[in-house]
Amino acid sequence: MNRRTSQSGIPLEPFYTAAHVGGEAADTGEVPGEYPFTRGRLASPRRREAWIHQELSGEGSARRSNEQFRQLIARGARGIDVIGDAPTMSALDPDHPLARHAVGNTGVSLCRLQDFAELYADLPLDELTVSHSLPPGAYAIAALHRVAAQRGFAPSVLRGSTILLPAYCEDCSYQIHMPYELRMRLALDSIEFAAREMPRFHAFLEDTYYISDGGLDAVEEMALGFVEIREIVRRLVARGIDVDSFAPRIAILVNCRMDFFEEIAKIRATRRIFARMMREEFAARDPRSWSCAITAHTSGLSLTLAQPVNNVARGALQGLALALAGVQAVEISCFDEAYRTPSHDAHMVSLRTQQIVQLEAGADRVADPLGGSYYVESLTDEMESRILAMVEKIESMGDLGELCDGGWFRELFQNAMTRRARAIEEKSEIQVGVNAFAVADEEDTLLRAASESKLEPCRERIDEIRLFKDQRDRGRVGEHFARLREAAAAPDNLLPAIGDALEADLTQGEISGALRLGVGAPYDPLGMMEPPL
Amino acid sequence: MSERPLRILLSILGLDQHEAGAFAVARLLRDAGMEVVYLGRFGTPERIVDAALEEGVDVIGLSCHSWEYLYYLDELFELLAARGLDLPVVVGGSVLSGDDKREIEAKGVAATFGPGAGAEEIVTRIRDLTATRGAA
Repeated sequence: MNRRTSQSGIPLEPFYTAAHVGGEAADTGEVPGEYPFTRGRLASPRRREAWIHQELSGEGSARRSNEQFRQLIARGARGIDVIGDAPTMSALDPDHPLARHAVGNTGVSLCRLQDFAELYADLPLDELTVSHSLPPGAYAIAALHRVAAQRGFAPSVLRGSTILLPAYCEDCSYQIHMPYELRMRLALDSIEFAAREMPRFHAFLEDTYYISDGGLDAVEEMALGFVEIREIVRRLVARGIDVDSFAPRIAILVNCRMDFFEEIAKIRATRRIFARMMREEFAARDPRSWSCAITAHTSGLSLTLAQPVNNVARGALQGLALALAGVQAVEISCFDEAYRTPSHDAHMVSLRTQQIVQLEAGADRVADPLGGSYYVESLTDEMESRILAMVEKIESMGDLGELCDGGWFRELFQNAMTRRARAIEEKSEIQVGVNAFAVADEEDTLLRAASESKLEPCRERIDEIRLFKDQRDRGRVGEHFARLREAAAAPDNLLPAIGDALEADLTQGEISGALRLGVGAPYDPLGMMEPPL
Repeated sequence: MSERPLRILLSILGLDQHEAGAFAVARLLRDAGMEVVYLGRFGTPERIVDAALEEGVDVIGLSCHSWEYLYYLDELFELLAARGLDLPVVVGGSVLSGDDKREIEAKGVAATFGPGAGAEEIVTRIRDLTATRGAA
């Protein structure tokens, strides 16, 4: 890291005094739990429960992943976060030709309602937070809603979240090959459906983690996040939906890199920006609509394949930053992250790190322990103004959909990735073990074997899904396929039709294809599969 | 070495959606005066070999952030042989461990670049590869 600037380029003084935060009159009187919530969502230690400890998990079949979840819960995890394999994350089925070497080896393979039922089997859905890192979100919401009903849980007790990603997913990591308007509609329909049916569930989770972990800095991360949040809120309000019906359940999933103080300042600034925006611009009246929940993953990009044990130290520092910033849920990326989705052993180290930060170091005993630090307050103000300036710049360029389709963000991501690669090469950003204090490959042995164990693709899953598709009620499948196609072209909320299609044994790949056809896009974006009939 | 700039095809195989490394490498090869035929994500051995023939590239470069490349490489080499194309294949990526490098070099991969590889190393290796081939 450059010593004279923060990671996002904010110039730094040798030390900070009251003069940097407005002089003697600097105390703004901000307190935790009160507008504008810079210092935290909640003040009272009684109400301010420990953050939810969770770890990204999922591998192979839904059953195998369910076993992983149960082991984590038995060891103290208070939530689960499901990661799909590459086909699932691309909204393609395991029997897609391009999926053949990618089933179940970077996450769980999910494509039908039965998979979700097996994924959640025996889990206490009324107590557990179930987060889904599964685009486009609508499928997981529809599936969770149906599975909960089958198991006798009222939808109103369900807690957790899904990622929506309408604006940036095609350009960054999660391409699902849907046009912008369809992606946006799935997001809006999901939020509207959940606000009515699953009022405790965070359907409106703004994921800034995945867009930033390609190399965007902290200012760009939050600016893009706020641009997307603002567009979604405007669209929901334009549908005639009361802002206070959904805003209390807006959450932001942020990244946490290695610049300790900047990441804390970013989270504090984010809460303040959100509160002011919701109250002053979107006229929310319910105070719960002003304070967003923040959940965080520590940066996978900050972790290295070389000297994997160093990643344990990184995770501890990032976990501490998040505890000091005051967030609602944390996932510490595991020491094997640079190579694979986490193993059981790696999960345990991350979970134990969270427990040590909380229970031994007592990092969350007091709300906002860094509040009033000249440096942190100054950095918070600076982050706030830089984020707002970038939001204004992007919004002044025109319609978000046109900017997305025109490739503006894609270029931003590409430039960020290149910039980051250069920073490592030129050593303006230091990664210990990579561009500083590197050792020869044969000397680098500690935790290497544990970090570099591979998962084989689950080829039997491909046969299972082929057989499942052959044995379905073809008439029923055809009927729901046609219904979804029509629904995509009609104005009604898509979630009920998606839920019905899942119950009629349509798969996520087929549902995506039907929706694409309904809006005039090809069934299979890669041109390798035909519609089911 | 020929007068025209070296042409490198860059692709990512299968459903591996991580494109960061490929972008960074494309930029640094262009900065070094090479031409990049950027095939991007969702590559298959067939698409890659078709494009390599059509574009007359000197080197095939694969970027990887998942293990799919391990399974596609045999197929790619078979296809190259079947079409009579003798092109060096280089593989770079964030998930290339020392063991992986040795394994795929044994399969016939001409050069490998792990997450710590710098621009100069990548450019020099690719130049050397094509120079020795040209002389052979």
